[in-house]
Amino acid sequence: MIRKIVATVTLVVSLFGVEIPLQTVQMHSFNRSVALNAQVIQLANAEQSITSLVSGHLEEYYVKPAQKVKTGQKVALLESIVVSKMSANYLALKKQLKAVSKNYNATKNLYKKGMTSMQELNNQEIKKSEINSQLTALESQLETLGIDAKGLKKATAYFILYAHSSGTVSSLVKPLHSSVNTDEPVISIVKNQAYYIKSFLPLEYATKVKVGDKVVVTYAGRDIVTHITQVLPKLDEMTQRVVVLSSVNEKVENLFINSYVKSTVYFGLGRRDLAVKKSALSFFKNEWVVFVPNKEEHHEEESEEHEGHEEAPYGVVVVKIIAEDNEYVAIEGLSEGEEYVSDKAYYVKSMILKGSLGEHGH
Amino acid sequence: MLDKIIELSLRYKVLVLVAFVALSLFGFKAYKEIPVDAFPDITPKQVVIYTESPGNSAEDIEKLITYPIESAVSGMAGVKLIMSNSIFGLSYVSIFFEDSMNIYFLRQLVSERIGSVDIPNGWGKPQLGPNTTGLGQVFWYEVRDSRGKYTLQEIREMQEYIVTPLLKSVSGVEEVISWGGEEKQYNVLIDTKKLQNFDITYSDIITALQNSNQAAGGQYLEFNSEQYLIRGAGLYQTLDDIRNTVVKSSVGESITIGDVARVVPGSAPRFGAVSIDGKEAVMGMVLQRTATNAAKVVENIKAKLETVNTALPDGVSIETIYDRTEITHKAVSTMTSALISGIILVAIILFLFLFELRSAFIVILSLPLSLLIAFLLMDYYSLSANLMSLSGLAIAVGMIVDGTIVIVENSFRKLHDEPDAEKFDVVSRAAKEVATPVTFAVLIIAAVFIPLLSLDGLAGKLYSPMALNIVFVMLGSLLVALVLVPVLILLLLKPTSSAENIVMKTIKSGYTPILIFTLNNTKKVLIAVSIVFVGLAYLLSQQGREFMPELNEESIMYRVIAIPGTALTQSIVTAQMVEKHILETYPDEVATVLSMIGRSEKGETAQGNYMEVLLTLKPGIEDLEALTEEMNEDLEHRFTHVAFVPTQPIAMRIEELLEGVKAELAVKIYGSDQKVLDSISKEIQSVIGSVEGLEHMEVESQLGQAQIKITPDYLALARFGISVDEVMDVIRNGIGEEPVSEKIEGVRRFGIVAKIKDAKKDAESIKKVTLRSKSGALVTLGQICKVEIQQGAAFIKRENLSRYMVLSMEVDGRDVASFVAEADRLIKEKVNMPTGYYIGWAGDFKNMKEATEKLMLIIPITIFLVILLLYTAFNSLGKAMIILLNVPFGFIGGIVALVASGIYLSVSAIVGFLAIFAIAILNGIVLVSFIDELRERFPHVELKTILKDATLLRLRPVLMTAFTTLFGILPLLYATGVGSEIQYPLSVVITGGIISSTLLTLLILPSTYLLFYGEKE
Repeated sequence: MIRKIVATVTLVVSLFGVEIPLQTVQMHSFNRSVALNAQVIQLANAEQSITSLVSGHLEEYYVKPAQKVKTGQKVALLESIVVSKMSANYLALKKQLKAVSKNYNATKNLYKKGMTSMQELNNQEIKKSEINSQLTALESQLETLGIDAKGLKKATAYFILYAHSSGTVSSLVKPLHSSVNTDEPVISIVKNQAYYIKSFLPLEYATKVKVGDKVVVTYAGRDIVTHITQVLPKLDEMTQRVVVLSSVNEKVENLFINSYVKSTVYFGLGRRDLAVKKSALSFFKNEWVVFVPNKEEHHEEESEEHEGHEEAPYGVVVVKIIAEDNEYVAIEGLSEGEEYVSDKAYYVKSMILKGSLGEHGH
Repeated sequence: MLDKIIELSLRYKVLVLVAFVALSLFGFKAYKEIPVDAFPDITPKQVVIYTESPGNSAEDIEKLITYPIESAVSGMAGVKLIMSNSIFGLSYVSIFFEDSMNIYFLRQLVSERIGSVDIPNGWGKPQLGPNTTGLGQVFWYEVRDSRGKYTLQEIREMQEYIVTPLLKSVSGVEEVISWGGEEKQYNVLIDTKKLQNFDITYSDIITALQNSNQAAGGQYLEFNSEQYLIRGAGLYQTLDDIRNTVVKSSVGESITIGDVARVVPGSAPRFGAVSIDGKEAVMGMVLQRTATNAAKVVENIKAKLETVNTALPDGVSIETIYDRTEITHKAVSTMTSALISGIILVAIILFLFLFELRSAFIVILSLPLSLLIAFLLMDYYSLSANLMSLSGLAIAVGMIVDGTIVIVENSFRKLHDEPDAEKFDVVSRAAKEVATPVTFAVLIIAAVFIPLLSLDGLAGKLYSPMALNIVFVMLGSLLVALVLVPVLILLLLKPTSSAENIVMKTIKSGYTPILIFTLNNTKKVLIAVSIVFVGLAYLLSQQGREFMPELNEESIMYRVIAIPGTALTQSIVTAQMVEKHILETYPDEVATVLSMIGRSEKGETAQGNYMEVLLTLKPGIEDLEALTEEMNEDLEHRFTHVAFVPTQPIAMRIEELLEGVKAELAVKIYGSDQKVLDSISKEIQSVIGSVEGLEHMEVESQLGQAQIKITPDYLALARFGISVDEVMDVIRNGIGEEPVSEKIEGVRRFGIVAKIKDAKKDAESIKKVTLRSKSGALVTLGQICKVEIQQGAAFIKRENLSRYMVLSMEVDGRDVASFVAEADRLIKEKVNMPTGYYIGWAGDFKNMKEATEKLMLIIPITIFLVILLLYTAFNSLGKAMIILLNVPFGFIGGIVALVASGIYLSVSAIVGFLAIFAIAILNGIVLVSFIDELRERFPHVELKTILKDATLLRLRPVLMTAFTTLFGILPLLYATGVGSEIQYPLSVVITGGIISSTLLTLLILPSTYLLFYGEKE
């Protein structure tokens, strides 16, 4: 019986004349960013706070009040459990990646010789890229904290705060050996003269950004990385948008004041969700759906009744879209590891809907 | 009067001869000039109004365009039916008028009416569809670039600006439709985020584009006695002109289009594509004007093609894809060859029976003469030579000679009997004797076919040319028989010894004992035959029915339907997969495969999910039917994601003319809400699902089109000071790519589109489209509008101002009428119909029912007319009844033949029965009139003896008329060419009918005569 059913399944699939690819639901990290219009401005005597991105314990100040500092100069040392966890995690993942890569290469060789299935190779690849993406996420988080992740040999709890711009230290906000919370200012620096980027942010994003978030400015064909130093409390009346300021710390030739530029604001650390390929989505009876292959046992019962009928080997699962990027969408409605139709969803939908077409070949 | 005619024509024999020579010459000229067509013009009087409304959804188009147009035209005189279809980007309203109206007058009336229709600005302008018939697509071609030098866009441009104007100038061409390729437009790609930088709005850009790009005339100036014209040439010449267009300027500085946008050539969004053998292509379709002749138009087009090919660049040429004349010639040649073989067969039969050269010559000569007279009449009434009209002639071939045979027979016998009498007198007497029965016989034959002329709609249009032609040729034959034949007899026939040949002798020796037996057992035989007839009549009522047999056009075509909402690009992929598959699987049979995907322009209502695939076959395919069947099966199994409906080019157009419903039987559910209609259709499905005889049932799904609906949030708009107008402008022009101006290059025009960059990547990107208010607020569409995805209507069909949905079904093994009665009762009892919702039955069944009802009324009238004619001829009701009684006996053979060959009862078969009706009466007249004559001559001989002798004496003419009719029709029975299947049921019925009617005339009629008049003796 089972053999017969398998035969019908493969028959139906091949009857399409197109192969229907399957994948499993995976975790995927979604970076949130929004492209905005921005303007280059210059501000005098602007005060800038240096904040800690994670909570920790203030161990040491490297600077004194009224001291002149330059961009990138060390200003304080903090100790944090979060950082030690992150770095340990990073190292462990690195080891895992090595092992998985080895496995993958071995499977690839086997596949080339025809000794294993494409499915198996795919699984290995997914596993590898999964770890890789986690690693990249952690790496970038560590880098933001000023830790050279690649050079990390063992786990560390220490991280250093650097000055974002050149200026004069106006005050040391936190007493030494005190606890510092996330996003709490530690030192404030007054800048003498500086270029800023004034990005105009729609209200819906305004609550999501915070000081320190990355803003990449495209100017004359190059990307300049800046960080938000201030979210202005007053809405720009003219554009009805929230203005965020980010300082330009690197030296940019010919940066013309008042010129308009494109800026991209990245906010929030990458969030991870269950995700499916965007190509898997289909709009079906007023809902977004993903098609999943029917279980084989299920088939067995069904085909007893529908002897001789072509039975759709796919089921429909309604999903809720939470987030999306260019390739993936974060969804609710499927669980991790579940198989789904990752592409050519159109053919599956056609098969299910064909019965209701206006005409039928007789 | 008849006597007078015969008398006069015999007297002025030279004049008669000259007149007939002249008549033949004119007839021949008419024959050469008669327009040739595959089919009679079956198009209903129909005016189509289509309104292109780019980018708009079916729902909005229905509300804002279709409904106002429908209401405006609904009160017009002569309107029979208004149907409409609102689809994405197009409103299509079709008005059917009474057939008696003049199309040009109607078009004028309609265009006056639509002038008063109020359609919102920017929603398109209603236009009348091309003035063509449903079968107007007479010539399809590909603009082929054999060297692969040009892009699809360039080829499309050639098609539109080189080929189309040239072909449109051809006489008889109404319209040339372009299909496939891409249409060039110029995109002004705007990054709306930048609007803030220059303090401008999206509308400013549109206004700037519209206000530039102008030309003006500045009159003239005189200088040194000469006149200089002044011209303001402000039309865009180059793309840089567009880039340098000023959007806004203040003192000393100005902002140009180039500052805010990139100007690049691009192509317009498309709704259709063409693919040939796996590659996209550009094709054109030539539509013929109403009331022109297809063959002539195509001939004119072909003559023009040389000019077109010279005008096209090297390597690009016009390649014919479909040419209506091919099928026309095939159909006409099927019929002419049937006609010619009929004539030859009839001639042979005549010679065998008469066994005398001179009389055979006279009878055979009457054949072409009658036909030439018919052609003359056809020409006069501008009837084209087509499948149906020619088949009328083919059916009549055998009957044409009947009148002549009778006259020649009689004269022959008389000349033989009275060798010494004056020849002029003998011939005159002989002709006069039979003139009345011959005239009445011909009139009766003509009368019998009158019901066909009364049929409405498609059947009427198809079969009335046939009936008309039968009438024409019979009148012709009457003229020949009464005027020319006596003259020829006088000149040619010589008294010879009795021409009793071996054939006749053998037949007589077998026939006599049977005749004697029946005359001795009249009652028993009559009862037995009546029982047989009643039994067969019952069988006939159980026979399956169909409206029309399918015409075999010797081509294979498919309608391929994917699920609603399928993207055009996906359909192109599907079409190309199908094309490649067919070419690979059937390399020996198929030459090329053409797919027409979606729609062209000009009032087609297909969407991206619809394709038409036409196969061009290689010559020398032996069994086309088997190939078609194999291919149907193969394709249906190979491509399970689409539905294949086999059809043929002409059949497809005819199906479309059948006023919307193609199924055998369908329920139309009327009402206003599509969702309610949908649920009612489901209810009906479950209620009648169990009714006996229901084979198959399906709903035409109207929903299923995914839509991204952008609803303005008025509060939000108020907050930012943006008007709905601006939002809709952005949607229409910026996202929907409606041109805001045109770049004119010579006579070619290309749209200039203010397109918003990256707006159409996916649903999310729509929300991110940025607008800027005049005061400077920068908002995204997502901020001021509710952007949601929902399932909407793929199309909305309406009939007489009400929406409807079609539930079509097939019924098998049961009489459709009783099925409808039961299903209708069940629906009324069990389905809950909300107020304002109702159902109606439609489909082939309805057409058949209407035709049957009409015939039920007309046939008794015809029978009455026939009785009247018979009564006038014999001056006796009894004899009229005896002859009429012959008819059911004639039907016996027809029914047996029909049932035995398993043919459905169709209009074609009914025509066959009508012919039998005529033949049976003809046979009856010949015999009864002779019996009367003998009774008069030998009043004292016993009736039984007279009956026996009369029948034996008349055996030859009766058999002769029967055999000529039979052999005249035989070529139709064995014809295999295009169009033969339409005539097949008819010829089957006639063949069976002739045999039985002749046999029974010779055996039963004497018995009935004996029963009627035996006692009186």
